[in-house]
Amino acid sequence: MKPDRAVIYFTVCSGTGYGMIISLLFLIFNNELYIDFNSKIVISALSFFLISSGLIASTIHLGHPIRAWRALSQWRSSWLSREGVAAILTFAPLTLFYFFWIFNNKPELIFIFLSISSFLSIITVFCTAKIYSSLKSIPSWHNPLVPIIYILNSLVLGLIINFTILFNFGIKINIIANLILILCLVTLLIKLLYWYSIRKPARSNISTATGLGSKTNTNFFEGPHTGKNFLTSEMINKIKNSKSFILRLTFCIFTYVTPANYILELPYLVVSDYVISFTLIIITIIAVIGMFIERYLFFIDSKHTVSLFYGNKII
Amino acid sequence: MTSLPQNKIKKKLGLVIDLDICVGCHACAVSCKEWNTGGHSSPLHDIEPFGDDPTGVWFNRVHTFEVENEIKGSKTVHFPKSCLHCDDAPCVTVCPTGASYKREEDGIVLVNADTCIGCKLCSWACPYGAREYDENAGVMKKCTLCVDKIYNTNIPKEDRVPACVSACPAGARSFGDLNDKNSDLFQIIEDRGGYDLMPEQDCSPTNKYLPPRENRTKFKEETLKSIVENIDNQEVNFEEWSKEINDETR
Repeated sequence: MKPDRAVIYFTVCSGTGYGMIISLLFLIFNNELYIDFNSKIVISALSFFLISSGLIASTIHLGHPIRAWRALSQWRSSWLSREGVAAILTFAPLTLFYFFWIFNNKPELIFIFLSISSFLSIITVFCTAKIYSSLKSIPSWHNPLVPIIYILNSLVLGLIINFTILFNFGIKINIIANLILILCLVTLLIKLLYWYSIRKPARSNISTATGLGSKTNTNFFEGPHTGKNFLTSEMINKIKNSKSFILRLTFCIFTYVTPANYILELPYLVVSDYVISFTLIIITIIAVIGMFIERYLFFIDSKHTVSLFYGNKII
Repeated sequence: MTSLPQNKIKKKLGLVIDLDICVGCHACAVSCKEWNTGGHSSPLHDIEPFGDDPTGVWFNRVHTFEVENEIKGSKTVHFPKSCLHCDDAPCVTVCPTGASYKREEDGIVLVNADTCIGCKLCSWACPYGAREYDENAGVMKKCTLCVDKIYNTNIPKEDRVPACVSACPAGARSFGDLNDKNSDLFQIIEDRGGYDLMPEQDCSPTNKYLPPRENRTKFKEETLKSIVENIDNQEVNFEEWSKEINDETR
């Protein structure tokens, strides 16, 4: 599949924004949510920016952005529609949470609105992933691990960003550090399991696609035309196995290994907090770049069944 | 509503494509483009039509496959492919706006260009690559089974078939109600073993493909040798060895 820039930006940024909200939920149990004004502003502004810029990017990339409101109508059958509805619904409790968290320290209200926002955030990320994993025509996406990975990945980045922001304001929260370690490990293992599970060729092959013979004796002889077309440019993109492997490795190191490693080292570091703060910012940026690589791979690595009509024997 | 029709569709209009007859002339594809660029989904835009790398919207394309078989002889099979108007069309259910729909009266899958937002999700969901995005119009387009031709009372009755069917010079494409068990079309699907493409995708396509007929068995080497020898010896006449070949291949 063609890695569309707008879709990659949307899934990574909105996912991360929602992850930041969900990860705030872990602070509430230790009464650590009542932090100073500046850090609240930064967390709120950044998460809001990430969520809304992602949604705007995904709207702009449509053929007719002005008609986007129509996409809310088919929630009964379409995951894309459900995602739109969930994203908009999330904004209501989220705005109230921001308001009460920043300006008014009423613990009950903050707790209620944060819980609702977190719940709806998880639903939204789940719907985003379901858009892809519900497509049978792309076997590597039609996998039950895809929604789990989407939710875990958004949480990993959300936690890392929140940790960095809070550290920069001089707040060290152990529960977040521990959660980052656990989630990096768990997500890495699930991602490896996912890559293992998509290794095998899908049930659809050139034999089932054409019905002419077995997959060994049926060959693609000639395409419908000599040039490219919508199908070949949108759904048939190739990446070398070696390049894909290097990118997978880079992503794992950037997003899981580097942050986890640094957080493990933190208690033993004998440097000033300024240096740690700065390093944490760099590490966060690296982790986000890693996630962009992951999303790029999600698209470029996947093979659509239509490629069986354009020369692929198996997908 | 982009859910599929709740009631069972009584009439299922579709195509039956005979891969034994198709000669790969691309007339169906060209005729399709010609009709539809002036019809329901008009215009079918081309990008850089006279440039180095032209692309454009086509609803029907002819692919060519080669089936190797050492015993029976290899075959080259021309393989026209357009929308299969599936019963369980995944392109319809993924549509977030309701622009994609399947008609209850005849099972044709259509796109409403006025409400399509151009998200391209339906083109991803279709396993057959039947959907075509029009870059210039910003909406998805697809084979309409020439809905503006088959019901068109302004044209003679015999012309009320899809453009690809009327164009085919070899008669490889048939059009009709594939749910009508008394029709010739249904009978030919039964007799020839008409099949679905990618049944494992569970789309239950309406269009059926008729497989190429088996090649006749090759002559045995000894028979050929004896015929050649006999010709040299002027011992047999034409009737005799045509009979001999026929016996051999039966």
